[in-house]
Amino acid sequence: MGARQTEQADALLGELKRQSAGRLTVFLGAAPGVGKTYAMLTRARELQRQGMDVLIGIVETHGRAETLAMAEGLPLLPRKRVEYQGRQLEEMDLDGLLARQPAIALVDELAHRNIPGSRHERRWQDVEELLDAGIDVYTTVNVQHLESVNDLVYQITGVRVSETVPDAVFERLRDIRLVDLPARELIERLNQGKVYLPEQAAHALQAFFSPSNLTALRELAMQTVAEYVDTDLREKRTARGLEGSAIQRHVLIAIDGREYSEYLVRAGARIAERRGAPWSVVTVDTGRSAEATRLAEDLPQARASTGVRAEQQRQMEIDKAFALARSLGGDTEVLHNTDVAQALLDAAAVRGARSIVIGRSRDRFMARLLNRTLTQQLLLRGARYELTIVSTPQARKQALGLTDIRGELLTRREPALILVASLGAVGTAALAERFLGLQDLSMVFLVAVMLVAARTRMAAAVITAVLCFLAYNFFFIDPRYTFLISAHRGVATVLCFLAAALIAGRLASRLRMQVVALRAANNHATAMQNLGRKLAQAADLGQVIAAGSAVLQSTLHAEAWMRINTESGPAGNARQLTDKDRVAADWTQQHGQASGRYTDTLSNSTWWFLPVCPDKDSLGVVGLRFPSGMGRLSFEQRRLAESMVDDIGQAALRTRLVSELEVARVTGETERLRSALLSSVSHDLRSPLSSMIGAADSLSRYGQDMGPEDRHSLLETIHVEGERLDRYIQNLLDMTRLGQQGLTLSRDWIGIDELVGSASRRLQRYEPGARIEHDIPPGLPPIHVHPALIEQALFNVLENAAKFSPPQEPIRVQVRRTEDDQLRISVSDRGPGIPEDERRRIFDMFYSVERGDRGRHGTGLGLTIVQGIVGAHMGSVEALPGLDDQGTTICLTLPWGPYPSQEHHAHAPSP
Amino acid sequence: MPPLHDSPPGAALARILVIDDEPQIRKFIDISLRSQGYGTLLAATGQEGLTLLASKGADLVILDLGLPDRDGREVLQELRQWSNVPLIVLTVRSGETEKVALLDAGANDYVTKPFGVEELLARIRALLRMAGLRSEPAPVYDDGTLRVDLAAREVSLHGQAVGLTRKEFALLTLLVRQPGRLITQTQLLRDMWGPTHVEDAHYLRVLVGKLRQKLGEDASAPRYIITEPGVGLRFLPQEP
Repeated sequence: MGARQTEQADALLGELKRQSAGRLTVFLGAAPGVGKTYAMLTRARELQRQGMDVLIGIVETHGRAETLAMAEGLPLLPRKRVEYQGRQLEEMDLDGLLARQPAIALVDELAHRNIPGSRHERRWQDVEELLDAGIDVYTTVNVQHLESVNDLVYQITGVRVSETVPDAVFERLRDIRLVDLPARELIERLNQGKVYLPEQAAHALQAFFSPSNLTALRELAMQTVAEYVDTDLREKRTARGLEGSAIQRHVLIAIDGREYSEYLVRAGARIAERRGAPWSVVTVDTGRSAEATRLAEDLPQARASTGVRAEQQRQMEIDKAFALARSLGGDTEVLHNTDVAQALLDAAAVRGARSIVIGRSRDRFMARLLNRTLTQQLLLRGARYELTIVSTPQARKQALGLTDIRGELLTRREPALILVASLGAVGTAALAERFLGLQDLSMVFLVAVMLVAARTRMAAAVITAVLCFLAYNFFFIDPRYTFLISAHRGVATVLCFLAAALIAGRLASRLRMQVVALRAANNHATAMQNLGRKLAQAADLGQVIAAGSAVLQSTLHAEAWMRINTESGPAGNARQLTDKDRVAADWTQQHGQASGRYTDTLSNSTWWFLPVCPDKDSLGVVGLRFPSGMGRLSFEQRRLAESMVDDIGQAALRTRLVSELEVARVTGETERLRSALLSSVSHDLRSPLSSMIGAADSLSRYGQDMGPEDRHSLLETIHVEGERLDRYIQNLLDMTRLGQQGLTLSRDWIGIDELVGSASRRLQRYEPGARIEHDIPPGLPPIHVHPALIEQALFNVLENAAKFSPPQEPIRVQVRRTEDDQLRISVSDRGPGIPEDERRRIFDMFYSVERGDRGRHGTGLGLTIVQGIVGAHMGSVEALPGLDDQGTTICLTLPWGPYPSQEHHAHAPSP
Repeated sequence: MPPLHDSPPGAALARILVIDDEPQIRKFIDISLRSQGYGTLLAATGQEGLTLLASKGADLVILDLGLPDRDGREVLQELRQWSNVPLIVLTVRSGETEKVALLDAGANDYVTKPFGVEELLARIRALLRMAGLRSEPAPVYDDGTLRVDLAAREVSLHGQAVGLTRKEFALLTLLVRQPGRLITQTQLLRDMWGPTHVEDAHYLRVLVGKLRQKLGEDASAPRYIITEPGVGLRFLPQEP
């Protein structure tokens, strides 16, 4: 059920994307000269008549009169002049087109290759950008330029078309129109000179236009159109929730990097396409590539053997095939396993694949005899799967030319190892024979072979085995010091030895390869884990950028720079970006696609730019600059970089969400506070002020009529209310101080008794009648807190207690050391107490104000400040019932902090 | 050393310079000071205050930090380059670190606004008395309960001799020498243990605790040695 819903969602999403972005109409023809451009222009004129805003981006008329006439009257964008190698050339003005924003742009020749130095290498990339910008594009293309039929065209015509267009472009397809002309008519037109052919290619193309070729191409074009119409229909049905393809019939394509890999990818993609199935391309790394990389590093460049080079060649083939697969819309993965068949079966199971597509195995006689070819193994072990074997003409040829890396030249230390092992074996065997009387000396040599095999590769193991075999024969088998063998028993022993040595050698080296393969996979996992750990610690975007680029640099050995949202870093690398690089970075961020080095967009930058989170309206861009000597990226590196960038994007997204949530929460809270603050200010500022103004006014007007006591009483009022106002303002100030970001505690050692003393003294200044009883055990160590803040907290609690306590009733301050070694200060009053359900709320800001306009209750800020201060010290405050269930006890709990070392005091220097 | 009196001998002659831009504050300080027999000089800006001090001289300066023409701290620094006159800083509430900085920059005491007149006058009296005693031989503090003889190094409480260690006596000396004056923790640590120990506040806490204990003081209700949290200590002389 889940899979179907997902599919439906995907289809809907695709539909939506297509509705907002521009859409593509393709005029497809079987060959040049069928009249695609003419058909496109005809359609454009019709649209223009209907009042649509049509603009010719670029149209090649090739001087044909009727085409020219058709273009007449349609608005035309001037072409851009580009200078290339001293020549003035013309190219479509992409930026002009984007700026002009027509509803429909006509762009001829989708497969055209742009002049080097243009923004994109190919015109279809320009078209994608136009579509992204919401411009509908009409374009023309010949069927042989489609990537997925490239091989078929080659087989039909014998001509390899190099300028191909990836089928993924057609994802944006609104309409595909076949421009058809029977083969005979086309040839006629050709003969009349009505078909434009580039001069230098004219001769080669003549063969192309044979009637049989044209017929085949025409059929191919028709098929293609039919397929797209079919796919289109299917997607629309799925989007509407109608039954689509019932099951996910994943197609798994396995390649091994021989020359036909790309062919296999195309063939497999076609199979999947026809079934409307998702597909992926995998290759199995048996550890050989890692071995080759290691060897390439070990050996000086000049000595790099042909095998190593072949291995690198193979890697590049795989890279190319993977790139092709991605451009056709498939997934790619490298599997690590020494058992190729098992790896493929596992991958197929994971993906829920029904079909596996493989190339025809190289026929190795022995392997076939032993049922060991890949095809045979898959057939034996993978009965559930439909196996498609694609044969290619080159496969056999290729098989012969293959050099196996295992038969390759040895590294420097290997001959030494082989010699030492062999000579050691001879010596040991001689000694064993003389002193121990050991009969069967083959065991000694076997050990030598195993030793070498466990440390090196197959080649060395085989050579050691042969050397040991010869030495054994020469020195120890009668007749000695010849290679002859006299006894039958001897022959058997020697041959058994050789077989055992070879098998053991092969096993040992295979084990080693497995380890190497595992290590490669492990490296990837470790790098990702390391990144994950670092990113998990990053709390904000700046830290994500710092951690991400640090890990990228150390893992990939490349310089890294990234920009996410508006933040970028690290600054050192940012300074190295040239304007050209910045253009590429901006392009990547805008389009959510890679650019720069190793890509075909703006590839003259020395940086490789990757988009961060391309599906989430491109959060940012990551730039990587590998050493200039690195001509290509291995697939592993590319994949590692991409997955790391993905993770960084996720982390950035997470921090963005967190901060957005925080902002939303704070905004809500601020609103609430603001209204509370307003009512508090009006109440708490105005009441003391009105008392003061009233008292002062009475004094100045009627002072002479009053008795001295009344006068004094009014003066007292002014004084007391002034003090009250001052404390209120102090509370507001404290609150803002606490609310400020990054309030830093300057902790210091102080005795809790000193703090209580100071707070009590201050209280007695304002409330001379208040009685405070202390209960502080002697000998408490000093605490490590911000003294002034804790004193303020104590003062606020005491003031609060004094406000509610009846006069003459003492306020009790009790200090205790709790069992879990914390400091607890309890301040108890004998006031009216707080109902249980409100005890928590008294720490809320302006709580007392919310209860109504009752003068004696103060600002409702005091206890909030206490909570803020104590919280900043990692302590806690709570309100409890008072002693004997009368009144309230406010309880402050503070961690003690580290104890100061006492011995310092004793040994402290004298003044 | 004589105990505290409201009008110490010679106080009537003392002339006090008030530098504050608030006319209302200047007015009430002026009235209060004159009512207590002090002479006053009034200045509304820092520059005016410095000129007055240089031309007419004063026995004590009250300096407001928020002045219109220049920052009070600057005035303080400039003044300290050529004058040792006792100085009280008036400041709106600021953090205790700022107070310490002011004391270290040469202020003898501070009073935070808003303040009571009584508090201000008490500080003025303490500073003037100290200035008058500067050249006198080692004094004796005696309020009838506590007696400290700095020269003879003798301390007694209710007539009973109190045995203090060298350190405890040194601390008591530092405090008693400047009665009523706030001495910063940094200064106490530097004077007692040397400049490398100014961060080791816990030495001081332990020592003060022991000293208070021997003087029969309760830190939570102190009489003689007052803690100003985060700033320092003050010895409060008692009336007999």
